[in-house]
Amino acid sequence: MSSWPIHVFNMELRRTLTYRADFWVNFIGQTLFSIVIAYFLWSSIFETLNVQTLNGFTMERMIVYYLLVPLVFRIQQGQTIGSISREIYEGSLNKFLLYPINFYGFKIITHFAGAVFYYAQIFVIIGLYQVFADNPIFEMSFLKLFYFTIAMLGISIAYFCLNSLSELVAFWADYIWSLGVIIRFAVSFMGGALIPLSFFPEWSMKILNLTPFPYMISFPMKILLEEVALKEFFLNMTILALWTLVFLFFSRVLWNKGRYRYTGVGI
Amino acid sequence: MSRYLKLYAHFLRFSFSKAMEFRVDFFFRVVMDIFFYAVQFAFFHIIYLHTPILAGWDIEQMRVFIVSYIFIDALHMTVFSTNCWWLPIYINRGDLDYYLVKPVSTLFFLSLKDFAANSFLNLVIAGSLLVWVLTNYPGPLEPIKIFVYILLLLNGTFLFFLTNLIFLLAVFWTQSPRGYGDLFFSVSHVMERPDRIYKGIARKVFVFILPFALMASYPAKFLMEENQWHLLGVIFGVTTCFFLLVQVIWRLGLRNYSSASS
Repeated sequence: MSSWPIHVFNMELRRTLTYRADFWVNFIGQTLFSIVIAYFLWSSIFETLNVQTLNGFTMERMIVYYLLVPLVFRIQQGQTIGSISREIYEGSLNKFLLYPINFYGFKIITHFAGAVFYYAQIFVIIGLYQVFADNPIFEMSFLKLFYFTIAMLGISIAYFCLNSLSELVAFWADYIWSLGVIIRFAVSFMGGALIPLSFFPEWSMKILNLTPFPYMISFPMKILLEEVALKEFFLNMTILALWTLVFLFFSRVLWNKGRYRYTGVGI
Repeated sequence: MSRYLKLYAHFLRFSFSKAMEFRVDFFFRVVMDIFFYAVQFAFFHIIYLHTPILAGWDIEQMRVFIVSYIFIDALHMTVFSTNCWWLPIYINRGDLDYYLVKPVSTLFFLSLKDFAANSFLNLVIAGSLLVWVLTNYPGPLEPIKIFVYILLLLNGTFLFFLTNLIFLLAVFWTQSPRGYGDLFFSVSHVMERPDRIYKGIARKVFVFILPFALMASYPAKFLMEENQWHLLGVIFGVTTCFFLLVQVIWRLGLRNYSSASS
C-alpha cells in the first residue's frame, strides 16, 4: 500500500503546529470566552426564573455543554474551509490532475490532520474536568470513547462532503467564501452549538430531525454527556451515512461537470 | 483633511467597480448576512420561549439591542473588515514597505483602503431592520436620544474596529499570518449579549479592557432607559483611550517590523 497518505497527514500536522504559541493562545482564549459568555447568559436566565433545572439542564451541565461544544464543532470542521476553492482559483488544481493520487483522498487527509488536534484537545479538557470536578456530571468509559471516536470520524467526513459542495461551486463562481460561512452558521445553529436543541420548539425539531444538522453536533454531545444505546447509535450513524452519501453524490456531480470548465490559469 | 476625504472617495469608487466584477460573491454575501441576522433573532426568540425577561429587558427591548449589534457588524463588515483581513498578512509578508513610503498616514490607508462594496447592501438591510425595530418599539423614544444613539452605534463600530486592530497588531511580534484574529472573533461574541448579564470582574473587563459592552449594549440602554446620559462619558472616554492605545501599539510595532517575510 502506498504511504502517501501518511506523508500528507504528517506534513499537514507539522503545518498546523507551525505557530504553536498562536495555536494554544487561540485554543485557550476561544474555550475560555465561550464558557464565560455561556456562564453569564445562562446564570442570568436561571436566576431570573429562580430554578435549578431548565429543560433537563442544570447550570453545571450547561457549562460543560458549552465547554465541549466548540471543540466538537472544530473537530468536524478540520482544515476544510477554502481548501478546495483555493486550488481552483489559484490554478494549483493542475498538480492534482497530474499526480497519481486521488484529489478527494488528499483533501480529506489534510482535513483529518486539522481535526486530530482538536480531538486531542477535547480529551485534555475532559481529563481536566474529570480530575478537578467534585462530582463530574458524566463519566468517561471505553465504550463512550469508542462511540464518540466513530461518530466524530463519520461527522468529520459528512462535514467535509457537505462543505465540498460549496467549495466546488468555485468552478462557476468567482468567490465562494460566503457559502462556506453559511454552512458553518447552519450547522452551528441547527446542530445545537448556539443553544441545546432541547430548548427549540417541538415543531421545529420535527423539521430539524429531517436534516443532517442535529446528527453533527447534538448527537456527539449526547454520546459524551448521556448514555447512548447501541441501537440509537446505529440509527443515528446510519442517517448520517445516508446524508454523507447524498453530499458525496452531488459533489461528484459538481466535480465531474466543473473540472471540464477548469482552465488552470487561476484568477 | 480634504486630501484624506478625496483619497477615501477614490477608495470607494475603486471598491464599487471591483465588487461589480464579482457578482455571484455579491449575491452570496447578501444571503450569508441575511442568514446571520435571522439566526440572531431566532437565538433570542428561543431564549424568550423559556424566560419572559433577560438582563432586565423584554423581547421588544432585546430586539433593539439585536439590531444595534447587527448594524455595528454590518458597518464594520463594509468599512473595516476586508482591511482587517489583509493588515496582518501585509505585515507578515513584509508587504508593508510599499505603504510606509506613501505620503499619507499608513494606518489610515491600510484601515480604509478596501471598502467592501459587496457588503454595502447588507448595511442597507441592517439599517432597514434598525428603522423597522425602532418604529415598532412600543415605548416612547425621544428624537434627541435616537440621534445620540445613532452616533453611539457609529462610535461602537469604531471601537469594535480599534479592539480588532489590537488583536491583529500582535502579528508584529508573533510573526504569524493572522495575529490573534481568530481569538478576536471568539471574544467579539461578548458584544452579542446584553451587558447586564456580566457581573463582578467580568463586567469591569468588558467595559474597560475588552470594551464590548460599550459597543451595542450601552447605546441600546441609553436609548430605551431613563437617566443614562452618564454612559456617554464612559463610552467616549474608553474610545479615546483605545484610539491612543492603537497609535502607541502601531508605533511600537513599526519599530519591531523588519520588512522580511516570515
